[in-house]
Amino acid sequence: MKVTLISIPVRDQEKALQFYTKKLGFLVKKDAPLEGGNRWLTLVSPEWQDGPELLLEPAPNHFEPCKVFQDSLKEAGIPWTQFDVENVDKEYDRLTKLNVDFSIPPTEMGTVKFAVFDDTCGNNIQIVETL
Amino acid sequence: MTSIYIEMTFYEEKISHIKNSCYSNNKQIETIIATRHFIDNNFEKDLKLDFLSNIKFTSKYHLQRLFKRYYGLTPRQYLINKRIEKSKENLINGMTVTETCFAVGFESLGSFSKLFKTKTGKSPSQFQKEQVSRSK
Repeated sequence: MKVTLISIPVRDQEKALQFYTKKLGFLVKKDAPLEGGNRWLTLVSPEWQDGPELLLEPAPNHFEPCKVFQDSLKEAGIPWTQFDVENVDKEYDRLTKLNVDFSIPPTEMGTVKFAVFDDTCGNNIQIVETL
Repeated sequence: MTSIYIEMTFYEEKISHIKNSCYSNNKQIETIIATRHFIDNNFEKDLKLDFLSNIKFTSKYHLQRLFKRYYGLTPRQYLINKRIEKSKENLINGMTVTETCFAVGFESLGSFSKLFKTKTGKSPSQFQKEQVSRSK
């Protein structure tokens, strides 16, 4: 078995696609139509295109418990998932200039530095740098 | 004097709690971070833990325990991962398997090939062939 997919629940797949590609910089790997206007939509990191895919999943719109869970995490400030970056401060500067809203600015903890931002699709996302 | 009270989220509270209970020894953390950077910059050399602990004026076993505690893996495991990662880069850039083996600090071709296969599922030459055919 191989780990190849990380799924992120989103309220609006098109909006999520714009945010994750235009602001975060991911690339589209797969985009296939499903019923009811839903899509199988996955993204990859530009520097690791054969790495794990990020699935932008419209689950909260179709399965209430998913929406409840997502809302609860969001409100508690808990990140849905996290991405590795080379330099958290640089990403923080770059993203704040693109009007990305951070709930936690770059913060050191032990051997990592991290920050948390709002993906505008219902999730907190954490970026992490290993010190 | 007025004090401003900013309400923390549940996550911030938890993080702050973990920070105090697990990551409050700054001097220790600095030592371990410096050890990782030293490995990163010298991975191709014959690195022995004795040597690392001498630089940091601490015992070999203590350093090993602390590294595992703060990074989740031993310095030895970290070094091996680093060398495998670097050897992949070298193989992709067209270096031969033998050159790669010694360039990243392994002492024998046999142990390099065996470790590479354990970590990536492929032998170095298989890996290189696949990368070359993929880029065509």
